[in-house]
Amino acid sequence: MGFIKEIAKHRQLYVLAVPGIVFLALFSYIPMFGHLIAFERFQPVKGVWGSKWVGLNNFKFFFGGHDWLRVTFNTVYLNLLFLLFGLGFAIALAIMINEVGSKIAKKLSQSFIFLPYFISWLVVSLMMLAFLSTDGIMNHWLQQAGIDAVNWYQRVQLWPFILTFVYVWKFAGYYSIIFLAAIVGISSEYYESAKIDGATRLQQMVYITIPSIRSVIVVLMLLGVGRIFFGDFGMIYGIVGDNSILYPTTDVIDTYSFRALRQLGNFGMSSAVVLYQSVMGLLAILLFNRLAQKIDPDSSLF
Amino acid sequence: MENTAAALWQKTARTRIKTDRSWGEKAFLLFMYAFIILFSLVCVVPFWIVLANSFTSEANFLKYGYQLFPNEWSLDAYNYLLHGGQFLTSYSNSLLVTVIGTVLSVVITAMFAYVLAHPKVKYRRILAFLTYLAMVLGGGLVGFYIMVANWLHLKDSLWVLILPYLLNPFYAFILVAFYKSLPYEINEAATIDGAGDMYLFYRIIVPISTPVIATVSLFYAIQYWNDWYLALLFIDNYKLHPLQLMIRQLMSNLNVASYVGGGASYRVAAPTSAIQLATVCLTIGPIVLLYPFLQKYFVKGITIGAVKG
Repeated sequence: MGFIKEIAKHRQLYVLAVPGIVFLALFSYIPMFGHLIAFERFQPVKGVWGSKWVGLNNFKFFFGGHDWLRVTFNTVYLNLLFLLFGLGFAIALAIMINEVGSKIAKKLSQSFIFLPYFISWLVVSLMMLAFLSTDGIMNHWLQQAGIDAVNWYQRVQLWPFILTFVYVWKFAGYYSIIFLAAIVGISSEYYESAKIDGATRLQQMVYITIPSIRSVIVVLMLLGVGRIFFGDFGMIYGIVGDNSILYPTTDVIDTYSFRALRQLGNFGMSSAVVLYQSVMGLLAILLFNRLAQKIDPDSSLF
Repeated sequence: MENTAAALWQKTARTRIKTDRSWGEKAFLLFMYAFIILFSLVCVVPFWIVLANSFTSEANFLKYGYQLFPNEWSLDAYNYLLHGGQFLTSYSNSLLVTVIGTVLSVVITAMFAYVLAHPKVKYRRILAFLTYLAMVLGGGLVGFYIMVANWLHLKDSLWVLILPYLLNPFYAFILVAFYKSLPYEINEAATIDGAGDMYLFYRIIVPISTPVIATVSLFYAIQYWNDWYLALLFIDNYKLHPLQLMIRQLMSNLNVASYVGGGASYRVAAPTSAIQLATVCLTIGPIVLLYPFLQKYFVKGITIGAVKG
């Protein structure tokens, strides 16, 4: 009763939310029924309710091989590398930009560093090709230095680090803006009294700046950790694509389930992988939100 | 005598420490400048390489590969691209999707966020939580695919590139944070005047929210312009390829001449590599041209998002 009354009373407001609610239902909530397909041998013609139920067969198939370990490890490992180096580098960069006195240098460097954020992973992928292909810039430099050319797209072991470098390149600007906003908010009194006590720049950074932006760092870390089981599909597929030589170190859960769906047409298996990912993702969020409340009560997400 | 000597020594020692320290400080500052300049270069050089190499001929490319400063300039790739049908088709697809998508998204998001932020709405917390949950979990690839392809029958239509991105929860929360910062008295004043909530929203709230709405519009515009995921999943027809997917097609091995030409026949061989680069240049061109403007609004938006967590 109260429900209808509330809606009727503020109907003008609720009407404004209708398109958004329809959107969430259509593209987020109703598709969750798709998880049922993980327990079926799905045939598009027969639909979700008409296909044959096969219990845990899809999961048995997925967990029976070695693929699941590989893609899970790659997803978590790459995300950890991205998070650690991405945030670490951005913090260092933000502090340095803040310390640099010249206004022009500040503005200019920020403009340059933020630029890569605005281009798609496909464009990044093409830029990488210019550097790393067999007749790319990197190999020209190596040859000029008298070192043999490297076939980068075959060196599987290097790719976690290449991808980390590219991630740092693309997002350093974005994250450093967040950190800079936090740094600018620190009261200058702290720095002044530190200077009177004879603290060096480095000491001021370590003992004033970093502790002051701690909660921002924790929030960003937690957001990253909450998504640790979700690979960046656009990045990995945009850069690696269908180059199966690199799968051992770069294939993540998202690219794996994409291929199962689009290239193998195996809806059941793809769905099982996605459900596995969602469950792990949910656990990660709950676990680390609990952790967040312990470390820093202000920064828990909900 | 002894005393003064000691005092003097102490004094010089102190000044020496001071100068040492400032030397160290200077070196440190220099290091920071060098670091920032170097990284700025690392960020810009790839853009330069794409631009420079898009102006080389295929012969030069085959001979020297990618170069920092090409030793021969040529407009072959741009000629080829602009005379073929595919590029213009893809460009207009991208433009259409970006413009229509951005307008629709902003309208829906601004309205939705207003309800989430409105203190009179009893269920705003539930709505916010459902939105947050959707952002975190999503529907899952397979369910989403079946919804779009089999139930909504949107495969191979431009709408498929627009509809699934209409409401981005993250952008909605930026707007929610802004609306919440508005003084509540606005509502009361309008209610006394007998204005309805909708009238209030369109006549008062939207006009004072223009800067934030502009920021969110740019977020959406960039998202639509750069997306290729939806096209990859749902578009097979070349005529509907957006620019990003065109770049992908050019990078995978296929017959560039027939793809770019759109049926037109050429007597010269297609400058394959330079065409890829030229397409990229023309794709990121608008972004680079609008960059000062984009940067300003993005920084504002990111900062709001960050402060509100």
